[in-house]
Amino acid sequence: MFTKYIFFFLSTVALYSAIMVLLSRKPIHSVLYLTLTFFAIAGHYILLNAQFLAVVHVIVYAGAIMVLFLFTVMLLNLNKEEVSPKPVWIKIVAIIAGCLLMIVLIGIFRGYDIAIEKDPALTQIGLVKNLGQVLYKQYLLPFELASILFLTAMVGAVLLGKKEQI
Amino acid sequence: MGSGFIIYKFILASLILIISLVVAMYSTLIERKMAGFFQDRFGPDRAGPWGIFQPLADGIKLFFKEEFMPNTADKFLYILGPSLTMLIALLTSAAIPWGGDMVINGKVYPLQVADINIGILYIFAIVSIGVYGIMIGGWASNNKFALLGAIRASSQMISYELAMSLAIIAVVMMTGSLSLKDIVDSQKGINWNVWYQPAAFIIFLVCAFAECNRSPFDLPECETELVGGYHTEYSSMKLGFYLFSEYINMFISSAVMATLFFGGYHFPFEDSLGLSPNALAAVGFLVLFIKITFLGFIFMWVRWTLPRFRYDQLMRLGWKALIPLAIVNIIITGVVILIKQG
Amino acid sequence: MSTIISLSVLGVLILAEGLLGKKAWHLPTILIGLLVSLALTLSGWNLNLHYYNEMMIVDNSSVAFSSILIFTTFLIFMFAGHYYRGVQRPLDDIYAILIFALVGSVMMTSFGNLIMLFLGIETLSIALYVLAGSHKEAITSNEATLKYFLMGSFLSGFLLFGIALLYGASGSLNMDEISAYTVREAAHLSPMFKAGLFLLIIGLAFKIAIVPFHFWAPDVYEGTPTLLTAFMATVVKVASIVALFRLFSHCFPAIRETWETTLWILAVLTILVGNLTGLYQPNLKRMLAYSSISHSGYMMLAVLAFSARSADALLLYAAAYSVATVTAFGILILVRGAKGNDLFTSFEGLGRKNPVEAVCLTIALLSLTGIPPLAGFMAKYYLFATALEKGYLWLVILAVLGSAISVGYYFKPIISMYLKEGEGIKLEAGFAYKTHIVFLTVLTILLGLLPAFLINLL
Repeated sequence: MFTKYIFFFLSTVALYSAIMVLLSRKPIHSVLYLTLTFFAIAGHYILLNAQFLAVVHVIVYAGAIMVLFLFTVMLLNLNKEEVSPKPVWIKIVAIIAGCLLMIVLIGIFRGYDIAIEKDPALTQIGLVKNLGQVLYKQYLLPFELASILFLTAMVGAVLLGKKEQI
Repeated sequence: MGSGFIIYKFILASLILIISLVVAMYSTLIERKMAGFFQDRFGPDRAGPWGIFQPLADGIKLFFKEEFMPNTADKFLYILGPSLTMLIALLTSAAIPWGGDMVINGKVYPLQVADINIGILYIFAIVSIGVYGIMIGGWASNNKFALLGAIRASSQMISYELAMSLAIIAVVMMTGSLSLKDIVDSQKGINWNVWYQPAAFIIFLVCAFAECNRSPFDLPECETELVGGYHTEYSSMKLGFYLFSEYINMFISSAVMATLFFGGYHFPFEDSLGLSPNALAAVGFLVLFIKITFLGFIFMWVRWTLPRFRYDQLMRLGWKALIPLAIVNIIITGVVILIKQG
Repeated sequence: MSTIISLSVLGVLILAEGLLGKKAWHLPTILIGLLVSLALTLSGWNLNLHYYNEMMIVDNSSVAFSSILIFTTFLIFMFAGHYYRGVQRPLDDIYAILIFALVGSVMMTSFGNLIMLFLGIETLSIALYVLAGSHKEAITSNEATLKYFLMGSFLSGFLLFGIALLYGASGSLNMDEISAYTVREAAHLSPMFKAGLFLLIIGLAFKIAIVPFHFWAPDVYEGTPTLLTAFMATVVKVASIVALFRLFSHCFPAIRETWETTLWILAVLTILVGNLTGLYQPNLKRMLAYSSISHSGYMMLAVLAFSARSADALLLYAAAYSVATVTAFGILILVRGAKGNDLFTSFEGLGRKNPVEAVCLTIALLSLTGIPPLAGFMAKYYLFATALEKGYLWLVILAVLGSAISVGYYFKPIISMYLKEGEGIKLEAGFAYKTHIVFLTVLTILLGLLPAFLINLL
């Protein structure tokens, strides 16, 4: 089917740009590749018929958080490539650990029957109306309590960011 | 979804693309004429009668200017910047309903490229990534003025995006839908949202000025402080892309405002005129354009009337005036809706 | 539920007072507010209320643990007036964030859904990232906040991924439904569920600071302002352990074999590494950090040997540990205030010059070691007894060995205070401060003499 090719295209883009986030020399390029990864993942959400999630993903991650990242990296002017090289043994250990995690994850997902919805493209849960119903009925309490989390984060940001009047 | 449908959409998209470009092209002329009017002079009037070939002349000039690229620039990003700006400016038009449905041979052809049911969110998404072109271009030039311009642009756009989204939420609450087509159809006749949501409209308008980097919020390209702002190092058609996309943005945001607040392609007494659907769609398209022209006029009017804000004033207005105002507006709207229902 | 609402309102109230500039009102408001919400919490005893599709289940254990958390916070706030006495800056933000952190910890003791668990942990963590860096001029505080934030947010990812995998396998986030799933599928548990379980353990182990996920703890504890370290070492630790206990005793009892060995190894490692490394610490604050690590190892025993009695034992242990640690930190604040550091040499001569403080610190440290008849001993006794009942003989032997090792470092400040001649220092403790410390000490002794007060509750 047509969507299958879109899926492979998006996955390739996502994987390639995710790897490039790590490999690129300049921090700015890493940030931009990360943005590209987010777009590819938003595309995956659309394939799963989760339009709301896709758009919010773009608005929040690509549109706000990554812009702030870019902003910070630009201001810090990290373009000097002066990241100190890590010892070889750390790299080796990291590669082994990462590969082990990957093997475990592949093992998990290979041929396993997932208990939740089989064909997400057929469900309507990703549409705004249904999502709102779930969010404001079933998950009302966490939704409201998240406001405390955000309030904490906001007060904290002000606390850390404010100039001390001595 | 036959192939005819796809061809139709393709033609429609191309048409909208061409119209946007032509409108943007001639907005430059109108803008200069307007500036002339406000400053009590003629404006360009040498190229053709009333200067109507001026945009062509400008375009030819931009094409034939020397391509210049700073030695230290990041080549790929330097080119990506203006292209991205242009692309993003053009993307928004896909979700806007440009007219009612046309019926040809019993088949319905809507004058909208994509009636997605989250149209408004789509527009927000595009607006929120609109800053990338400017930031990438400003950074890639490797010039401190360009970088400062880019940083100004990004912080300004992020700040005003919030107030803009909050202003729209009130409109969405009234309509109960995120689809732009539904929002337009709920404003049939003269039942426009601007009458019910004047505060939201004002906030949206102010934010639209800021999002388009238009005066009085044109700090990213403030010549007196930053040489040329984020496009200091750009020349030739790449500069043209940046300047051009500003006009496209202006056109599109006028269209969005007309859609959200001024009833889109609807006009009073449209049902009592007895027109066929096709004629109605055509008239509606024209009506929408009249509204867009009027809103575009406001953009230019403000630009040639108001002085530029200082940066801290800009931030204070965004965070301490517009956002609280938008939140209060949402609360009032909610209360009114609740009272009406119950 | 009323606990969470009252505490949130309290936090917002503090912010409002800060807005009005009424700095003097903060502490009275907080202390009264904490007592009110403690009363509201206790009023939920034996009611077993469920809220909003079982997002929150307020059973007796959550009432008891929430009360201990709120009470500990109350005890810590009693030191706040002294600790921040010379500070010019407004304090409403720090106080409010502390209260919000408490809200997060209360969520962690009464969640009925994994979403609520995650939300509680995040509220607590984000509050702590900020609090760790709240002493902005000190480079150690900056180091603490950066270290804690980078590692904490990374490990939150593990936690969330674990929860997602559990959801993918069992199709629900509700604890009862996950439990039903484990009973149904106990024989052939899907690999996805197992992986989710282990990622969840890793995420929680980081928050508790269980070996080998403890490396952040000493540095963060050392850099954080001492009053807030006391909060970290008590409320945060107890809340995280209780979350682990609640999660495992509600959701995963049917699949014991899957996680038993892992937790066993983690507990032994925590006890041994925590105590052995504690021997080599130069100052009291780092020593208390390692002490808190090893105590989380002991409290893991309750998770391993869960039963109604182990919940009781955990309750007593949490109370004894919190009270003793708060006492130790109270004296630490005084010594740091007078000497500017908390090396063990700073405690020399304290026994003669400040007998009250010295005795209180001694009793607190003895209680943490587990010397009878103090609270720490009774708590350890009950905890080890429940573990023995379940047949964890070797684990208990190792834990006792760990306790024996811990004598080596808990006695260091005591030896400094009484047996070493020093110039001594004048600790500037007011009457109220001294009374509070004495009150805490009496509490430690009382809990040791009358453990029945807490031990047969649940």
